[in-house]
Amino acid sequence: MRTLLFILSLLCGPVAAFAAAQPGAGDASTWTRSIVTIEVARKQFDYYQPWGRRTVRAQKTGLVLNDREILTTADAMFDRTLVRLQKNGRGRWFVGDVSWVDYQANLAIVTTKESDFWTDLKPVKLASKIDPDAPLQIVRWREGNLETRRAEFSQFSVREGQLCGLNHVTMEVASDIQSAGWSEPVINDSHVVGLITSQEGRECNATPMAFIEPILKARAAGSYKGLGYYHFFWQPSQNPALQARLKLPGEARGVVVIDVPRRPDAGESVLRKEDIILNIDGFDIDVEGDYQDPMFGYLMLENLSSRGKWAGDVSRIKIWRDGKEMEVSYTIPRFDYDNALVPGATYDKEPEYLIVGGLVFQPLTDSYLQAWGAEWKRRSPFRLFYYREQEKTPEQPSLVILSQVLPDPYNIGYTDNRWIVLSKINGQRITTLPDIQEALKKPSGQFHVIEFASGDTLQRLVLAAGSEEQAATQRVLERYGIEKGFYFAPGKGK
Amino acid sequence: MVRRHHVHRVRKQLIFLLLMAGWGGPGHCLAADPERSVIQIMVFSQQPSFDMPWRFDPVRRSGGSGFVMKGKRIMTNAHVVTWGRQILVRRYQDPKPYVAEVEYVGHDCDLAVLRVKDDSFFENLEPLEFGELPKVRSSVVTYGYPAGGEEISYTRGVVSRIELTIYAHIGNRQLLSVQTDAAINPGNSGGPVIQDDKVVGVAFQGLGGLENAGFFIPPPVIMHFLKDIEDDKYQGFPQVGARLVDLQNPAYRSYLKLSDNNLGARVDSLLPRPGFEHILKPDDVILKIGEFPVASDGTILYQGNRLSGSMGFLMAQHGEKVPVQLWRDGKQMDLEVPVFINESDRASGYQYDSLPRYYVYGGLVFTPLSLDYLRTLGRDAAEPAVGPLYYELRYRPFEEPDKARPEPVVLSTVMPDEANANVNAGREMVDRINGVRIEKLEDVIRAFETNTNAFDTIEFLPRNHIESLVRSEAVDATARVLKTYGISRDRRL
Repeated sequence: MRTLLFILSLLCGPVAAFAAAQPGAGDASTWTRSIVTIEVARKQFDYYQPWGRRTVRAQKTGLVLNDREILTTADAMFDRTLVRLQKNGRGRWFVGDVSWVDYQANLAIVTTKESDFWTDLKPVKLASKIDPDAPLQIVRWREGNLETRRAEFSQFSVREGQLCGLNHVTMEVASDIQSAGWSEPVINDSHVVGLITSQEGRECNATPMAFIEPILKARAAGSYKGLGYYHFFWQPSQNPALQARLKLPGEARGVVVIDVPRRPDAGESVLRKEDIILNIDGFDIDVEGDYQDPMFGYLMLENLSSRGKWAGDVSRIKIWRDGKEMEVSYTIPRFDYDNALVPGATYDKEPEYLIVGGLVFQPLTDSYLQAWGAEWKRRSPFRLFYYREQEKTPEQPSLVILSQVLPDPYNIGYTDNRWIVLSKINGQRITTLPDIQEALKKPSGQFHVIEFASGDTLQRLVLAAGSEEQAATQRVLERYGIEKGFYFAPGKGK
Repeated sequence: MVRRHHVHRVRKQLIFLLLMAGWGGPGHCLAADPERSVIQIMVFSQQPSFDMPWRFDPVRRSGGSGFVMKGKRIMTNAHVVTWGRQILVRRYQDPKPYVAEVEYVGHDCDLAVLRVKDDSFFENLEPLEFGELPKVRSSVVTYGYPAGGEEISYTRGVVSRIELTIYAHIGNRQLLSVQTDAAINPGNSGGPVIQDDKVVGVAFQGLGGLENAGFFIPPPVIMHFLKDIEDDKYQGFPQVGARLVDLQNPAYRSYLKLSDNNLGARVDSLLPRPGFEHILKPDDVILKIGEFPVASDGTILYQGNRLSGSMGFLMAQHGEKVPVQLWRDGKQMDLEVPVFINESDRASGYQYDSLPRYYVYGGLVFTPLSLDYLRTLGRDAAEPAVGPLYYELRYRPFEEPDKARPEPVVLSTVMPDEANANVNAGREMVDRINGVRIEKLEDVIRAFETNTNAFDTIEFLPRNHIESLVRSEAVDATARVLKTYGISRDRRL
């Protein structure tokens, strides 16, 4: 949705979008000197043809901070090739540097060495505290003018972040602004209270400053360790029969832990199935899984994993277990895209692939599945998508698929095969592309025997090894105009 | 190219449309033979609801076609008469409706034989004879009572293609079918396709999005059906239980020490079948099925048509042995390979005849997971939340046959009652009840009926969602729920 909106914004003519003096907007000149435009040129990869790429551009909003820093969201900052800054909504562009980016938190800091840029700019004031009844505006540069739109506060909620599955507090506002979601500030009087991260219809989601400011402060102090999350599953416990069966006395409260997967950091899983979580870090948990946040009201307990805490910090969790109340120390694991069997995102990494005689092997990632477009969760191949529901294990830490076969006489008979998960090559287990490289060094006689995961798809194929394989790979690269037969992330493979 | 020969399960990449129609009155003009033997069929059907399995959908009126065959019987499509509460048949230009009933039905091949209670129905009607598989490019005429008018309709067309096709009525079987450019429309279903005064097919389905394409069931399938019912019981088309793929890659042929003679399909894997001992092995190369040499693309040449090699097994009857010449471990050998109907994948195809099984306890409705159940979810079936059910039905039996359950059970719905007022569940697969792993619906009943604890506990997959009921309240609620919602019995097994 945001992509579409962004395209529309580029196509729009010079609409009358200027700063009208509105209640709560403060002095418009304040914002003209505090809000800048950021343009990011970045590589857009084609996961169908991972050796190719296009360049796309996105424009977003930045806020001037102290110390010659511009705050913006991390969205569209990945795979960047050039960042430019523009002040006053017009005039020359200044080359920017991304000095810090955190995709999990969806935040980035941009700066520039060009001192002219900083002349006449004024830092914004940030405010963590929000008065829901106060008038709100959304401000941005558009077509050389400062556009100010009224916004109405809807609610605070806990939602998945824009760039990862991590849940944290979000501010929902409604506005007539169009094509927002690119770090436009939500302002209250003379303070910025949030950054817009997405929009659907009139509904805009903003990350509140109450979430952002502690991260900025911790970063400045060198104590920011990245965001963590609770790596367990729970369910509401409105059902009194369930609480009674678990022998919890008194009024209904808490939520029931239903699944505790292996921790990604191999740490101890201090929780168990059927524990009832009663309190986290001093906040009582109700049967819906909410706690009463002093600033935001009722929020889902997941927010406590990032409320002033970072990965590696400890949450003190009161639980009801085996008829007794006890407290456990839960060390919050870091949210890492690679924690899942199907990695959640591959920002700042070129797509990896390996071509063997026309057979194209790729890691299975969300980025690959997202090649099916905005509706990728419905349209990507069901079986590949469903691997996202499966847990990573030591035996199966990741998946490699045969994504397609580029036709060549060498692979005749196999060209219709695609989207199948590899199991073994020449008897060796395959979970990464370097595994393939290693396995190909030990052919089964004159052949490579390739086996696929059990299922209703092809189970096995055989290729010629040695010079025939190498010649075929070279021939395929030349015929299909592919520069390199493989790409691995730095530090992997040959 | 890999050509899959198994008909065990097939992807529904194309949407086949069954050709029933709403029906009108009788025709009023004369016509010459063989149309006198073409029958108009009117059906009042009522399909069960698979998510509330004690209920039935509203009565539906639909129409189809049929024709008189020897023995004073009418042949039509299975889908024309499925779930029929009353079947009426009309002779050509005769306004009188006669009551008919289904004598035999083959849902996998979409054929049925009807009997008419009043023998006078067949007076002066000549049975149509069956012909041979028509040739590609030859002309055929389709007879029937399609929508858009009340008279019998004739449409002439050319045989365009002959190959194995998904039979949409059951959804997970491929059998031989013939494609023609004759207009075959809703209501044509079950009507004869005639060439040289003989029946060379039974019209049965169209193809959404494809113009001028109708499909009919050809004589080899019809004859197999008729032979099958000679013992008064229909069993179905058998399978060899192996997935065959082409063997055209020179390296693979060399790996198997097989000459590059353009012959042979490779056994890629064996289909999981509980209690079945496979004679074929992976990497066997099938050189000949019966008298048919198997080409390296997995096809056989059948009456001048290149067809999937599975055709060689499909022509046998359940339990028969098919002579197979194969290449194993560098040697040629001859084997007799038994073929059997596969009942283990019934739930992954559409099911008929048997009403859905269910059990109601404390207002919670449990029913087996099936394709019919998933279809009740409508658009929601594509939602990621339904993924675990789809995986269980469609993939786990192949990926983890040891963990697959013979009859996965879902909590279909919760009929509201004070005993379950705080149960927040539905459309979920049941893992355990009171500690008992649920392999089939009977396990659900046993788990509840043998529980001696104060609470009933139900665990769901895939994330171990748990719900509990106070046992005494749930037991009391069951009778109340049955009465409140007009459910005559707490179970159908």
